[in-house]
Amino acid sequence: MEKVCVLGAGSTKYGKLADSIADITTHASVAAIESAGISPKDIDASYISNVFGVADKQVHIGPVLMSRLGIPDKPSLTIESACGSGSVSFREAYANVAAGFYDCLLVTGVEKVTHTGTEWTTTYFAYCSDFFYEGQAGASFPGLFASMARAYMTEFNTTEEDFARVAVKNHDNGVLNPKAHMQKKITIDDVMNSAVVASPLKLFDCCPFSDGASSVILCSEKFAKEHGGDYVECIGSGRGGSPAALQGRDHMTTIPSTKLAAASAYKMAGITAKDVDFAEVHDCFTIAEVVDTEDLGFFEKGKGVEAVREGRTSLNSDISINPSGGLKSKGHPIGATGVGQVVEVYDQLTGNAGERTVKDAKIGLTHNFGATGASCAVHVFQSV
Amino acid sequence: MSIEEQVIENAKNGKLLTHKCTDCGYLHLSTAYFCRECGSKGFEDVLLDGVGKVATYTIITVPPAGFEKYTPYAFVVLKLDNSDLRISGFMGGIATPADLPVGTPAKITGFDERGIIIEKQ
Ligand SMILES: CC(C)(COP(=O)(O)OP(=O)(O)OC[C@H]1O[C@@H](n2cnc3c(N)ncnc32)[C@H](O)[C@@H]1OP(=O)(O)O)[C@@H](O)C(=O)NCCC(=O)NCCS
Ligand SMILES: [Zn+2]
Repeated sequence: MEKVCVLGAGSTKYGKLADSIADITTHASVAAIESAGISPKDIDASYISNVFGVADKQVHIGPVLMSRLGIPDKPSLTIESACGSGSVSFREAYANVAAGFYDCLLVTGVEKVTHTGTEWTTTYFAYCSDFFYEGQAGASFPGLFASMARAYMTEFNTTEEDFARVAVKNHDNGVLNPKAHMQKKITIDDVMNSAVVASPLKLFDCCPFSDGASSVILCSEKFAKEHGGDYVECIGSGRGGSPAALQGRDHMTTIPSTKLAAASAYKMAGITAKDVDFAEVHDCFTIAEVVDTEDLGFFEKGKGVEAVREGRTSLNSDISINPSGGLKSKGHPIGATGVGQVVEVYDQLTGNAGERTVKDAKIGLTHNFGATGASCAVHVFQSV
Repeated sequence: MSIEEQVIENAKNGKLLTHKCTDCGYLHLSTAYFCRECGSKGFEDVLLDGVGKVATYTIITVPPAGFEKYTPYAFVVLKLDNSDLRISGFMGGIATPADLPVGTPAKITGFDERGIIIEKQ
Protein backbone atom coordinates (compact mmCIF):
# COMPACT_ATOMS: atom_id res chain seq x y z
CA MET A 1 0.00 0.00 0.00
CA GLU A 2 1.12 3.56 -0.76
CA LYS A 3 1.40 5.97 2.17
CA VAL A 4 -1.36 8.56 1.82
CA CYS A 5 -0.90 12.24 2.63
CA VAL A 6 -2.99 15.40 2.86
CA LEU A 7 -1.08 18.03 0.92
CA GLY A 8 -3.47 20.97 1.13
CA ALA A 9 -6.76 22.02 2.66
CA GLY A 10 -9.31 24.81 2.46
CA SER A 11 -12.82 25.74 3.56
CA THR A 12 -15.36 28.45 2.97
CA LYS A 13 -16.80 30.06 6.05
CA TYR A 14 -19.62 27.94 7.49
CA GLY A 15 -22.96 29.65 8.07
CA LYS A 16 -25.71 31.15 5.94
CA LEU A 17 -24.00 31.72 2.61
CA ALA A 18 -25.38 33.73 -0.32
CA ASP A 19 -23.34 32.11 -3.11
CA SER A 20 -24.64 29.10 -5.07
CA ILE A 21 -23.70 25.54 -4.24
CA ALA A 22 -21.50 25.40 -7.35
CA ASP A 23 -19.72 28.59 -6.28
CA ILE A 24 -18.99 27.47 -2.73
CA THR A 25 -17.84 24.04 -3.93
CA THR A 26 -15.40 25.82 -6.24
CA HIS A 27 -14.20 28.32 -3.62
CA ALA A 28 -13.21 25.57 -1.15
CA SER A 29 -11.59 23.49 -3.90
CA VAL A 30 -9.53 26.40 -5.18
CA ALA A 31 -8.41 27.14 -1.61
CA ALA A 32 -7.25 23.53 -1.19
CA ILE A 33 -5.44 23.53 -4.55
CA GLU A 34 -3.65 26.77 -3.67
CA SER A 35 -2.81 25.51 -0.19
CA ALA A 36 -1.22 22.41 -1.77
CA GLY A 37 0.71 24.53 -4.27
CA ILE A 38 -0.38 22.37 -7.19
CA SER A 39 -2.16 23.02 -10.48
CA PRO A 40 -5.62 21.55 -11.17
CA LYS A 41 -3.92 19.63 -13.99
CA ASP A 42 -2.07 17.59 -11.32
CA ILE A 43 -5.41 16.21 -10.06
CA ASP A 44 -6.34 12.74 -11.33
CA ALA A 45 -9.97 12.70 -10.16
CA SER A 46 -12.35 14.16 -7.59
CA TYR A 47 -14.62 12.80 -4.86
CA ILE A 48 -17.50 15.11 -4.00
CA SER A 49 -19.74 14.59 -0.97
CA ASN A 50 -23.16 16.19 -0.88
CA VAL A 51 -26.62 15.24 0.36
CA PHE A 52 -29.19 17.85 -0.68
CA GLY A 53 -27.83 19.38 -3.89
CA VAL A 54 -31.43 19.22 -5.05
CA ALA A 55 -32.18 22.12 -2.65
CA ASP A 56 -30.02 24.45 -4.73
CA LYS A 57 -30.94 22.89 -8.08
CA GLN A 58 -27.56 21.21 -8.59
CA VAL A 59 -26.96 17.51 -8.23
CA HIS A 60 -24.05 15.75 -10.01
CA ILE A 61 -21.82 18.59 -8.83
CA GLY A 62 -18.56 16.80 -9.71
CA PRO A 63 -18.47 17.60 -13.44
CA VAL A 64 -19.57 21.18 -12.78
CA LEU A 65 -16.63 21.63 -10.41
CA MET A 66 -14.17 19.95 -12.77
CA SER A 67 -15.34 22.18 -15.63
CA ARG A 68 -14.79 25.29 -13.52
CA LEU A 69 -11.31 24.08 -12.56
CA GLY A 70 -10.36 23.71 -16.24
CA ILE A 71 -10.14 19.90 -16.05
CA PRO A 72 -13.50 18.79 -17.53
CA ASP A 73 -11.90 15.61 -18.88
CA LYS A 74 -11.08 14.33 -15.36
CA PRO A 75 -13.46 11.88 -13.64
CA SER A 76 -15.51 12.71 -10.55
CA LEU A 77 -17.79 10.81 -8.21
CA THR A 78 -20.52 12.29 -6.02
CA ILE A 79 -21.17 10.45 -2.75
CA GLU A 80 -24.10 10.57 -0.29
CA SER A 81 -23.96 9.06 3.23
CA ALA A 82 -26.08 11.59 5.16
CA CYS A 83 -24.05 13.61 7.69
CA GLY A 84 -21.14 11.19 7.22
CA SER A 85 -20.79 11.81 3.49
CA GLY A 86 -17.55 13.77 3.82
CA SER A 87 -15.57 11.15 5.70
CA VAL A 88 -16.90 8.31 3.59
CA SER A 89 -15.86 10.15 0.46
CA PHE A 90 -12.44 10.83 2.03
CA ARG A 91 -12.15 7.12 2.78
CA GLU A 92 -12.92 6.12 -0.82
CA ALA A 93 -10.30 8.57 -2.04
CA TYR A 94 -7.85 7.27 0.57
CA ALA A 95 -8.36 3.69 -0.60
CA ASN A 96 -7.75 4.64 -4.22
CA VAL A 97 -4.48 6.44 -3.47
CA ALA A 98 -3.36 3.66 -1.09
CA ALA A 99 -4.06 1.08 -3.80
CA GLY A 100 -1.99 3.04 -6.30
CA PHE A 101 -4.87 3.76 -8.71
CA TYR A 102 -4.36 7.52 -8.39
CA ASP A 103 -1.53 9.81 -7.24
CA CYS A 104 -3.48 12.96 -6.46
CA LEU A 105 -7.16 13.43 -5.68
CA LEU A 106 -9.41 16.35 -4.88
CA VAL A 107 -11.89 15.60 -2.07
CA THR A 108 -14.56 18.27 -1.62
CA GLY A 109 -17.69 18.25 0.52
CA VAL A 110 -20.50 20.76 0.25
CA GLU A 111 -23.98 21.57 1.53
CA LYS A 112 -26.29 24.49 0.88
CA VAL A 113 -29.67 24.30 2.63
CA THR A 114 -30.26 27.30 4.90
CA HIS A 115 -32.34 29.14 2.27
CA THR A 116 -34.96 26.35 2.42
CA GLY A 117 -36.03 27.20 6.00
CA THR A 118 -36.49 25.23 9.21
CA GLU A 119 -39.41 23.04 8.10
CA TRP A 120 -37.92 21.91 4.79
CA THR A 121 -34.59 21.05 6.36
CA THR A 122 -36.13 19.27 9.37
CA THR A 123 -38.32 17.25 7.01
CA TYR A 124 -35.61 16.31 4.51
CA PHE A 125 -32.97 15.52 7.14
CA ALA A 126 -35.46 13.04 8.64
CA TYR A 127 -35.27 11.11 5.33
CA CYS A 128 -31.77 10.06 6.49
CA SER A 129 -33.35 7.95 9.28
CA ASP A 130 -34.80 4.44 8.83
CA PHE A 131 -37.88 6.16 7.47
CA PHE A 132 -40.42 3.35 7.77
CA TYR A 133 -39.88 3.11 11.52
CA GLU A 134 -38.55 6.57 12.47
CA GLY A 135 -39.14 9.51 10.10
CA GLN A 136 -42.61 8.25 9.23
CA ALA A 137 -43.56 8.31 12.94
CA GLY A 138 -42.55 11.97 13.26
CA ALA A 139 -38.94 11.54 14.39
CA SER A 140 -36.70 14.48 13.52
CA PHE A 141 -32.90 14.27 13.86
CA PRO A 142 -32.91 16.30 17.04
CA GLY A 143 -35.65 13.87 18.17
CA LEU A 144 -33.57 10.75 17.53
CA PHE A 145 -30.57 12.12 19.41
CA ALA A 146 -32.92 13.34 22.14
CA SER A 147 -34.08 9.73 22.46
CA MET A 148 -30.44 8.70 22.92
CA ALA A 149 -30.00 11.52 25.44
CA ARG A 150 -33.01 10.36 27.47
CA ALA A 151 -31.69 6.77 27.40
CA TYR A 152 -28.28 8.03 28.57
CA MET A 153 -29.76 10.13 31.38
CA THR A 154 -31.79 7.13 32.53
CA GLU A 155 -28.90 4.66 32.39
CA PHE A 156 -26.16 6.85 33.87
CA ASN A 157 -28.18 9.20 36.06
CA THR A 158 -26.92 12.39 34.41
CA THR A 159 -28.57 15.78 33.93
CA GLU A 160 -29.31 18.21 31.12
CA GLU A 161 -26.62 20.53 32.56
CA ASP A 162 -24.08 17.80 31.88
CA PHE A 163 -24.89 17.99 28.16
CA ALA A 164 -25.00 21.80 28.26
CA ARG A 165 -21.31 21.90 29.22
CA VAL A 166 -20.40 20.32 25.89
CA ALA A 167 -22.07 23.20 24.05
CA VAL A 168 -20.34 25.81 26.23
CA LYS A 169 -16.93 24.21 25.61
CA ASN A 170 -17.46 23.97 21.86
CA HIS A 171 -18.64 27.57 21.62
CA ASP A 172 -15.49 28.60 23.55
CA ASN A 173 -13.43 26.92 20.83
CA GLY A 174 -15.59 28.22 17.97
CA VAL A 175 -15.00 31.81 19.05
CA LEU A 176 -11.34 31.22 18.12
CA ASN A 177 -12.26 29.92 14.65
CA PRO A 178 -12.87 32.70 12.10
CA LYS A 179 -14.67 30.22 9.78
CA ALA A 180 -17.16 29.05 12.44
CA HIS A 181 -20.90 29.54 11.99
CA MET A 182 -21.66 30.42 15.65
CA GLN A 183 -18.90 32.65 16.95
CA LYS A 184 -20.19 33.58 20.34
CA LYS A 185 -19.47 32.52 23.88
CA ILE A 186 -22.41 30.99 25.73
CA THR A 187 -23.10 29.96 29.32
CA ILE A 188 -24.78 26.91 30.84
CA ASP A 189 -27.77 29.16 31.59
CA ASP A 190 -27.99 30.18 27.92
CA VAL A 191 -28.25 26.51 26.98
CA MET A 192 -30.71 25.64 29.76
CA ASN A 193 -32.93 28.62 28.94
CA SER A 194 -32.95 28.09 25.16
CA ALA A 195 -36.12 26.81 23.50
CA VAL A 196 -36.79 23.07 23.58
CA VAL A 197 -36.39 21.50 20.13
CA ALA A 198 -36.86 17.85 21.10
CA SER A 199 -36.88 17.23 24.83
CA PRO A 200 -34.38 16.95 26.53
CA LEU A 201 -32.45 18.75 23.77
CA LYS A 202 -32.73 22.49 23.47
CA LEU A 203 -31.69 24.90 20.71
CA PHE A 204 -28.15 25.25 22.09
CA ASP A 205 -27.71 21.48 22.38
CA CYS A 206 -28.15 21.29 18.59
CA CYS A 207 -25.77 22.02 15.77
CA PRO A 208 -27.23 24.63 13.42
CA PHE A 209 -28.28 24.13 9.81
CA SER A 210 -25.27 25.44 7.90
CA ASP A 211 -24.06 26.07 4.38
CA GLY A 212 -20.41 25.55 3.56
CA ALA A 213 -17.77 23.63 1.64
CA SER A 214 -14.45 22.07 2.59
CA SER A 215 -11.77 20.54 0.45
CA VAL A 216 -8.50 18.65 0.75
CA ILE A 217 -5.85 17.38 -1.64
CA LEU A 218 -5.01 13.74 -0.99
CA CYS A 219 -1.93 12.19 -2.57
CA SER A 220 0.74 9.53 -2.36
CA GLU A 221 3.80 10.24 -0.21
CA LYS A 222 5.93 10.32 -3.37
CA PHE A 223 3.70 12.99 -4.90
CA ALA A 224 3.75 15.01 -1.64
CA LYS A 225 7.56 14.94 -1.48
CA GLU A 226 7.92 15.94 -5.13
CA HIS A 227 5.60 18.88 -4.73
CA GLY A 228 7.08 20.15 -1.47
CA GLY A 229 5.00 22.16 0.96
CA ASP A 230 3.46 21.08 4.24
CA TYR A 231 1.68 17.79 4.41
CA VAL A 232 0.36 15.36 7.03
CA GLU A 233 0.14 11.61 6.75
CA CYS A 234 -3.09 9.66 7.13
CA ILE A 235 -1.91 6.63 9.13
CA GLY A 236 -5.24 4.95 9.87
CA SER A 237 -8.61 4.62 8.17
CA GLY A 238 -11.55 2.66 9.54
CA ARG A 239 -15.24 2.24 8.79
CA GLY A 240 -18.20 0.58 10.44
CA GLY A 241 -21.97 0.26 10.41
CA SER A 242 -24.83 0.09 12.92
CA PRO A 243 -28.46 -1.01 12.68
CA ALA A 244 -30.13 1.85 10.78
CA ALA A 245 -32.84 2.43 13.41
CA LEU A 246 -32.09 3.17 17.07
CA GLN A 247 -34.59 0.51 18.13
CA GLY A 248 -32.40 -2.21 16.57
CA ARG A 249 -29.28 -1.51 18.67
CA ASP A 250 -28.35 -3.59 21.68
CA HIS A 251 -27.70 -0.36 23.59
CA MET A 252 -29.09 3.04 22.70
CA THR A 253 -26.27 4.82 24.53
CA THR A 254 -23.48 3.62 22.27
CA ILE A 255 -22.91 3.80 18.53
CA PRO A 256 -21.57 0.46 17.28
CA SER A 257 -20.21 1.87 14.00
CA THR A 258 -17.95 4.27 15.91
CA LYS A 259 -16.41 1.41 17.86
CA LEU A 260 -15.85 -0.66 14.73
CA ALA A 261 -14.39 2.23 12.74
CA ALA A 262 -12.14 3.29 15.62
CA ALA A 263 -10.86 -0.22 16.27
CA SER A 264 -9.81 -0.68 12.68
CA ALA A 265 -8.32 2.83 12.35
CA TYR A 266 -6.29 2.40 15.57
CA LYS A 267 -5.09 -1.01 14.44
CA MET A 268 -3.95 0.29 11.07
CA ALA A 269 -2.22 3.26 12.71
CA GLY A 270 -0.63 1.02 15.36
CA ILE A 271 -1.87 3.28 18.16
CA THR A 272 -4.43 3.26 20.97
CA ALA A 273 -6.90 5.95 22.02
CA LYS A 274 -4.32 7.20 24.56
CA ASP A 275 -1.99 8.31 21.77
CA VAL A 276 -4.49 10.75 20.27
CA ASP A 277 -3.65 14.40 21.05
CA PHE A 278 -6.87 15.93 19.74
CA ALA A 279 -9.99 14.80 17.94
CA GLU A 280 -12.66 16.32 15.75
CA VAL A 281 -15.71 14.24 16.67
CA HIS A 282 -19.30 14.20 15.41
CA ASP A 283 -21.10 16.42 17.94
CA CYS A 284 -24.27 17.07 15.94
CA PHE A 285 -25.92 17.27 19.36
CA THR A 286 -24.27 17.59 22.79
CA ILE A 287 -25.24 14.01 23.70
CA ALA A 288 -23.43 12.79 20.58
CA GLU A 289 -20.07 14.21 21.70
CA VAL A 290 -20.41 12.47 25.07
CA VAL A 291 -21.23 9.14 23.43
CA ASP A 292 -18.48 9.58 20.81
CA THR A 293 -15.72 10.23 23.33
CA GLU A 294 -16.68 7.02 25.11
CA ASP A 295 -17.05 4.92 21.96
CA LEU A 296 -13.71 6.19 20.65
CA GLY A 297 -12.10 4.89 23.83
CA PHE A 298 -11.11 8.24 25.38
CA PHE A 299 -13.32 7.62 28.42
CA GLU A 300 -15.18 4.68 29.92
CA LYS A 301 -18.86 4.22 29.09
CA GLY A 302 -20.89 6.52 31.32
CA LYS A 303 -17.86 8.66 32.23
CA GLY A 304 -18.01 11.07 29.28
CA VAL A 305 -20.03 13.71 31.12
CA GLU A 306 -17.68 13.62 34.09
CA ALA A 307 -14.76 14.27 31.74
CA VAL A 308 -16.51 17.35 30.36
CA ARG A 309 -17.42 18.53 33.88
CA GLU A 310 -13.75 18.27 34.88
CA GLY A 311 -12.65 20.18 31.79
CA ARG A 312 -10.66 17.22 30.49
CA THR A 313 -11.90 17.72 26.90
CA SER A 314 -11.29 21.47 26.76
CA LEU A 315 -8.68 23.00 24.50
CA ASN A 316 -5.18 22.03 25.67
CA SER A 317 -6.33 19.80 28.50
CA ASP A 318 -6.08 15.96 28.60
CA ILE A 319 -7.44 15.57 25.09
CA SER A 320 -8.70 18.55 23.09
CA ILE A 321 -12.09 17.55 21.69
CA ASN A 322 -13.33 19.62 18.77
CA PRO A 323 -10.77 22.43 18.83
CA SER A 324 -12.51 23.84 15.72
CA GLY A 325 -15.74 24.35 17.69
CA GLY A 326 -17.18 21.12 16.31
CA LEU A 327 -20.47 20.78 14.50
CA LYS A 328 -22.11 22.62 17.38
CA SER A 329 -20.28 25.91 16.95
CA LYS A 330 -18.27 25.64 13.73
CA GLY A 331 -21.47 24.49 12.00
CA HIS A 332 -22.68 21.40 10.18
CA PRO A 333 -23.04 21.68 6.39
CA ILE A 334 -23.78 17.98 6.31
CA GLY A 335 -22.01 16.94 3.09
CA ALA A 336 -18.96 19.06 3.99
CA THR A 337 -18.49 18.23 7.67
CA GLY A 338 -16.34 15.09 7.33
CA VAL A 339 -13.95 16.87 4.97
CA GLY A 340 -13.98 19.98 7.18
CA GLN A 341 -12.72 17.88 10.08
CA VAL A 342 -9.71 16.86 7.97
CA VAL A 343 -9.12 20.53 7.12
CA GLU A 344 -8.98 21.28 10.86
CA VAL A 345 -6.53 18.43 11.48
CA TYR A 346 -4.35 19.62 8.60
CA ASP A 347 -4.38 23.19 9.94
CA GLN A 348 -3.58 21.98 13.46
CA LEU A 349 -0.71 19.70 12.44
CA THR A 350 0.84 22.22 10.03
CA GLY A 351 0.74 25.16 12.46
CA ASN A 352 -2.12 27.05 10.82
CA ALA A 353 -4.75 26.89 13.58
CA GLY A 354 -3.99 30.27 15.14
CA GLU A 355 -5.34 30.87 18.62
CA ARG A 356 -6.99 27.45 18.84
CA THR A 357 -3.75 25.54 18.28
CA VAL A 358 -3.45 22.32 20.27
CA LYS A 359 0.07 22.57 21.71
CA ASP A 360 2.66 19.97 20.68
CA ALA A 361 0.05 17.92 18.83
CA LYS A 362 1.41 15.05 16.75
CA ILE A 363 -1.64 12.83 16.26
CA GLY A 364 -5.14 14.04 15.34
CA LEU A 365 -8.28 12.00 14.77
CA THR A 366 -11.45 12.63 12.78
CA HIS A 367 -14.75 10.91 13.57
CA ASN A 368 -17.83 11.50 11.42
CA PHE A 369 -21.05 9.53 11.05
CA GLY A 370 -24.22 9.45 9.01
CA ALA A 371 -27.68 9.70 10.61
CA THR A 372 -27.65 8.34 14.19
CA GLY A 373 -24.35 6.64 13.46
CA ALA A 374 -25.72 4.10 11.00
CA SER A 375 -22.51 4.59 9.02
CA CYS A 376 -19.22 5.91 10.34
CA ALA A 377 -15.62 6.62 9.37
CA VAL A 378 -12.64 7.33 11.61
CA HIS A 379 -9.25 8.57 10.36
CA VAL A 380 -5.97 9.09 12.17
CA PHE A 381 -3.38 11.62 11.03
CA GLN A 382 0.20 12.24 12.03
CA SER A 383 2.41 15.26 11.51
CA VAL A 384 5.59 14.61 9.49
CA MET B 1 -48.93 -7.99 0.49
CA SER B 2 -45.46 -6.48 0.82
CA ILE B 3 -43.63 -6.89 4.11
CA GLU B 4 -44.28 -3.26 5.05
CA GLU B 5 -47.99 -3.66 4.27
CA GLN B 6 -48.09 -6.72 6.52
CA VAL B 7 -46.47 -4.75 9.37
CA ILE B 8 -49.07 -2.03 8.88
CA GLU B 9 -52.07 -4.40 8.82
CA ASN B 10 -50.88 -6.14 11.99
CA ALA B 11 -50.15 -2.85 13.77
CA LYS B 12 -53.77 -1.86 13.13
CA ASN B 13 -54.69 -4.93 15.21
CA GLY B 14 -52.22 -4.06 17.97
CA LYS B 15 -49.80 -6.78 16.85
CA LEU B 16 -46.18 -6.78 15.79
CA LEU B 17 -45.17 -9.12 13.00
CA THR B 18 -41.70 -10.60 13.60
CA HIS B 19 -39.34 -13.00 11.83
CA LYS B 20 -37.84 -15.87 13.79
CA CYS B 21 -34.79 -17.52 12.24
CA THR B 22 -35.56 -21.18 11.56
CA ASP B 23 -31.85 -22.04 11.97
CA CYS B 24 -30.80 -20.22 15.15
CA GLY B 25 -34.04 -18.85 16.58
CA TYR B 26 -32.95 -15.19 16.59
CA LEU B 27 -35.97 -12.88 16.56
CA HIS B 28 -36.04 -9.88 14.16
CA LEU B 29 -38.56 -7.31 13.07
CA SER B 30 -40.22 -8.62 9.92
CA THR B 31 -38.35 -6.23 7.63
CA ALA B 32 -35.29 -8.51 8.05
CA TYR B 33 -34.58 -10.68 4.98
CA PHE B 34 -31.50 -12.47 6.35
CA CYS B 35 -30.65 -13.44 9.92
CA ARG B 36 -28.36 -10.95 11.63
CA GLU B 37 -26.99 -13.69 13.86
CA CYS B 38 -26.30 -16.59 11.46
CA GLY B 39 -26.94 -15.23 7.95
CA SER B 40 -29.72 -17.72 7.21
CA LYS B 41 -32.69 -16.76 5.02
CA GLY B 42 -35.26 -19.08 6.57
CA PHE B 43 -37.79 -17.28 8.74
CA GLU B 44 -41.01 -18.24 10.43
CA ASP B 45 -43.61 -15.48 11.02
CA VAL B 46 -44.30 -14.89 14.71
CA LEU B 47 -47.07 -12.50 15.70
CA LEU B 48 -46.41 -10.74 19.02
CA ASP B 49 -48.72 -8.64 21.13
CA GLY B 50 -47.60 -5.03 20.67
CA VAL B 51 -47.35 -4.41 24.41
CA GLY B 52 -44.32 -3.29 26.35
CA LYS B 53 -42.69 -0.45 28.24
CA VAL B 54 -41.28 2.88 27.08
CA ALA B 55 -37.50 2.37 26.71
CA THR B 56 -36.82 5.97 25.68
CA TYR B 57 -38.63 8.83 23.96
CA THR B 58 -38.50 12.48 23.02
CA ILE B 59 -41.11 15.20 22.90
CA ILE B 60 -40.86 17.01 19.60
CA THR B 61 -41.60 20.72 19.41
CA VAL B 62 -39.96 21.47 16.03
CA PRO B 63 -41.73 18.94 13.78
CA PRO B 64 -41.19 17.75 10.22
CA ALA B 65 -43.87 18.62 7.63
CA GLY B 66 -47.23 17.01 8.30
CA PHE B 67 -46.79 16.89 12.08
CA GLU B 68 -47.50 20.56 12.91
CA LYS B 69 -51.07 19.86 13.94
CA TYR B 70 -49.98 17.15 16.39
CA THR B 71 -47.17 19.17 18.06
CA PRO B 72 -46.05 18.64 20.78
CA TYR B 73 -46.01 14.86 20.47
CA ALA B 74 -43.72 12.04 21.52
CA PHE B 75 -41.59 9.76 19.37
CA VAL B 76 -41.33 6.60 21.46
CA VAL B 77 -39.10 3.52 21.47
CA LEU B 78 -41.09 0.68 23.03
CA LYS B 79 -39.38 -2.41 24.50
CA LEU B 80 -41.74 -5.33 24.02
CA ASP B 81 -42.70 -7.52 26.96
CA ASN B 82 -41.56 -11.14 26.57
CA SER B 83 -38.97 -10.41 23.85
CA ASP B 84 -35.77 -8.40 23.39
CA LEU B 85 -37.24 -6.50 20.45
CA ARG B 86 -37.95 -2.79 20.41
CA ILE B 87 -40.29 -0.92 18.09
CA SER B 88 -40.67 2.83 17.63
CA GLY B 89 -43.71 4.92 16.90
CA PHE B 90 -45.77 8.05 17.40
CA MET B 91 -47.53 8.94 20.67
CA GLY B 92 -49.87 11.92 20.77
CA GLY B 93 -50.91 14.09 23.69
CA ILE B 94 -47.54 14.24 25.45
CA ALA B 95 -46.40 17.74 26.41
CA THR B 96 -43.83 17.36 29.22
CA PRO B 97 -41.52 14.59 30.47
CA ALA B 98 -43.81 14.25 33.52
CA ASP B 99 -46.43 12.86 31.10
CA LEU B 100 -44.27 9.90 30.15
CA PRO B 101 -41.70 8.46 32.58
CA VAL B 102 -39.34 5.89 31.05
CA GLY B 103 -40.84 2.48 31.86
CA THR B 104 -44.44 3.55 31.31
CA PRO B 105 -46.49 0.57 30.00
CA ALA B 106 -47.60 1.26 26.42
CA LYS B 107 -48.91 -0.61 23.38
CA ILE B 108 -49.24 -0.46 19.63
CA THR B 109 -52.75 0.69 18.74
CA GLY B 110 -52.69 1.43 15.02
CA PHE B 111 -51.04 2.83 11.95
CA ASP B 112 -51.87 5.98 9.96
CA GLU B 113 -50.17 9.05 8.44
CA ARG B 114 -48.18 9.22 11.71
CA GLY B 115 -46.65 5.79 11.21
CA ILE B 116 -47.01 3.14 13.92
CA ILE B 117 -49.19 4.53 16.72
CA ILE B 118 -48.27 3.80 20.32
CA GLU B 119 -50.50 4.69 23.28
CA LYS B 120 -50.18 4.34 27.04
CA GLN B 121 -51.78 1.12 28.32
C1 LIG C 1 -32.30 23.72 16.18
C2 LIG C 1 -32.94 24.04 14.84
C3 LIG C 1 -34.31 23.39 14.74
C4 LIG C 1 -33.08 25.57 14.68
O1 LIG C 1 -33.67 25.81 13.42
P1 LIG C 1 -33.10 26.97 12.49
O2 LIG C 1 -33.85 26.95 11.20
O3 LIG C 1 -31.64 26.86 12.40
O4 LIG C 1 -33.51 28.23 13.30
P2 LIG C 1 -33.44 29.73 12.83
O5 LIG C 1 -32.59 29.88 11.60
O6 LIG C 1 -34.84 30.21 12.79
O7 LIG C 1 -32.65 30.39 14.01
C5 LIG C 1 -33.24 31.01 15.11
C6 LIG C 1 -32.14 31.65 15.94
O8 LIG C 1 -31.42 30.65 16.64
C7 LIG C 1 -30.04 30.68 16.29
N1 LIG C 1 -29.65 29.30 16.13
C8 LIG C 1 -30.11 28.45 15.21
N2 LIG C 1 -29.60 27.24 15.41
C9 LIG C 1 -28.81 27.34 16.48
C10 LIG C 1 -28.02 26.42 17.15
N3 LIG C 1 -27.99 25.15 16.75
N4 LIG C 1 -27.32 26.82 18.23
C11 LIG C 1 -27.37 28.10 18.64
N5 LIG C 1 -28.14 29.03 18.03
C12 LIG C 1 -28.83 28.65 16.97
C13 LIG C 1 -29.96 31.41 15.00
O9 LIG C 1 -28.72 32.07 14.86
C14 LIG C 1 -31.09 32.39 15.14
O10 LIG C 1 -30.65 33.46 15.94
P3 LIG C 1 -30.98 34.97 15.51
O11 LIG C 1 -32.48 35.01 15.48
O12 LIG C 1 -30.33 35.76 16.59
O13 LIG C 1 -30.35 35.10 14.16
C15 LIG C 1 -32.05 23.50 13.73
O14 LIG C 1 -30.86 24.23 13.73
C16 LIG C 1 -31.77 22.03 13.83
O15 LIG C 1 -32.63 21.19 13.64
N6 LIG C 1 -30.49 21.65 14.07
C17 LIG C 1 -30.07 20.30 13.97
C18 LIG C 1 -29.62 20.00 12.57
C19 LIG C 1 -29.47 18.54 12.30
O16 LIG C 1 -30.29 17.73 12.67
N7 LIG C 1 -28.41 18.15 11.62
C20 LIG C 1 -28.15 16.79 11.33
C21 LIG C 1 -27.53 16.18 12.51
S1 LIG C 1 -27.35 14.45 12.40
ZN1 LIG D 1 -30.21 -17.27 12.45
